[in-house]
Amino acid sequence: MNNNFIIETKSLTKEYKRDEFRIMALHQASIQIEKGEFLALMGPSGSGKSTLLHLIAAIDRPSSGEVTVLGQNLQALSDKEIARWRNEHVGFVFQTFNLIPVLTARENVELPLLLTHLSKKERIDHAETALKLVGLGDRMGHYPRQLSGGQEQRVAIARAIVTDPALILADEPTGDLDSQSANEVLTILSKLNKEQNKTVVMVTHDPHAAKFASKIRHLEKGELLPKGVLPQV
Amino acid sequence: MRKYIPFAFKNSLRNKRRTILTIASISVSLFLLGVLIAVYHAFYFRAAPPEQALRLVMRNRVSLTFSIPEYYEPKIRQIPGVKEVVSRSWFGGIYIDNRPEYFFPRFGTDPERIFKVYPEMTIDPEQLKAFQSERTAAAIGKTLAEKQNLRLGQKITLKGDIYPVDLELTIRAIFEGTADSSDNVMYFHRKYVEEGLVNARKGLVGTFAILAESAEAVPRIAREADEMFRNSDRQTKTDSERAFQLSFVSMLGNVKVFLLSICGAVVFTILLVSANTMAMSVRERIKEIGVLRTLGFTTDKVLAMIIAEAVIIAMLGGLLGCLMAFAVVQVLGSSLQVMFGTLRMPPVVLLISLGVAFAIGLLSSVIPAYNASRVPITDALRHLG
Repeated sequence: MNNNFIIETKSLTKEYKRDEFRIMALHQASIQIEKGEFLALMGPSGSGKSTLLHLIAAIDRPSSGEVTVLGQNLQALSDKEIARWRNEHVGFVFQTFNLIPVLTARENVELPLLLTHLSKKERIDHAETALKLVGLGDRMGHYPRQLSGGQEQRVAIARAIVTDPALILADEPTGDLDSQSANEVLTILSKLNKEQNKTVVMVTHDPHAAKFASKIRHLEKGELLPKGVLPQV
Repeated sequence: MRKYIPFAFKNSLRNKRRTILTIASISVSLFLLGVLIAVYHAFYFRAAPPEQALRLVMRNRVSLTFSIPEYYEPKIRQIPGVKEVVSRSWFGGIYIDNRPEYFFPRFGTDPERIFKVYPEMTIDPEQLKAFQSERTAAAIGKTLAEKQNLRLGQKITLKGDIYPVDLELTIRAIFEGTADSSDNVMYFHRKYVEEGLVNARKGLVGTFAILAESAEAVPRIAREADEMFRNSDRQTKTDSERAFQLSFVSMLGNVKVFLLSICGAVVFTILLVSANTMAMSVRERIKEIGVLRTLGFTTDKVLAMIIAEAVIIAMLGGLLGCLMAFAVVQVLGSSLQVMFGTLRMPPVVLLISLGVAFAIGLLSSVIPAYNASRVPITDALRHLG
């Protein structure tokens, strides 16, 4: 394996069973992503881009094929090991923010740190630093319902980076945002990529969002298209 | 695990109305349960003075309402291991009127021996002497004196019902027992009662209280005493004092099964209520559970947090219920008499009630929590709640 590749998948296939139907969500996807890349995975709904992202994040297991992230073959890990690995190495940003409504912004960001050995004070310090990094230093005590959509997504990004992961995975991070908030979020992701050398893999179907990425790959009907090839309209 | 408790606590207050209603339903049930366990405890596990283990009560084999001859006493005294014997005859009677607040146990007894058989009842030697030396003297427990506002030297009248004789008594002694049951009682001279009876009713007593020299001797004395009077026209039944007291409870029916059935029904019902609440609460949060697991929380941690949340709710309800039960028992105090004494809420009853609350929290959440924690992350994230 090339040491520059932070993510490498080989013939990755994911098949779901829904009642008596078999659905091929991803078929034989092989991709190599270098450290420090900002990759946009594009494609229409049902093309398999989120499935690929989930397999890279190890929140789903492939039906066949291999996925190696940060030199770790994910199939070789148990569920507990994968949970720990994900906590340490992956920050995940969802389309719908998915903040815990009963927790303040700071407490939401602190959540992944509960799994570490940091003291309460250290956890708070880290969470506050992450929130300041996304420009929400003045919103720490606010609950998600007291924040705008853009602010919620910035809290979610702070939560994703608070453990200082090497890899940030974002699943349609601007899908629920207006254009101004979307720009703010994409700018933050871009800065994280450029200034802190975080590898970012972003799923989007928005061409404007994809412009923030350094590379774009397209998927169509579960197939990862070759570099530079666009899906048929 | 401690660092997850604030998170679990915040989650438990997520839907305040539902949480408050759940806590209220658990607290009402636990209140009822606490009182029932207190009654059960009072019946079957009440703390007894150590002397009780040394005492036996002999009564007529047919029924407590039948008397036994006074002349059995010296024969009982001859049984090896018997230290002291005293007769006690339930007088009944009416003090002031028939209202329950004026009811208290009244016994005709032998004033020379009663405080020897019941050494846990402490009495001033001067007062004891006064009680023993005056034919119409009465000795009362401190609790009774306080409840009926009676004092030394006061004259009272007991109108006879079981015995066709009215007693004019003077309170000469106020003794202190170790428990309300032995404190809420009046003793007077049995001979004084007999003065007003026809000959045919004289020389009979209700029961004999027997003090043994050792606890080991108690079963043998009971056996030998009953054997001694097996061929007499008034056969006897001798039990330990504890067994004798419990025989009163059994007169009410199978109290044990009755109380345990109600307790079981209360616990089972509240378990279903809590399980339903927890199932609803967990179902609404499947997506959040998916998020937590994406952040790196293992299924075990998610399971533990959901259970902790249910336990917090149940324990809050349990604490509230116990406090209510404790307050009610304290406030109503001595008016809640349970056969042999005031109903109390000993620490063990509170602990049992809180233990039940803990178990309700645990059991009500374990299945929904287990199921939710094992939903695949991708399915959980798609869940619409």
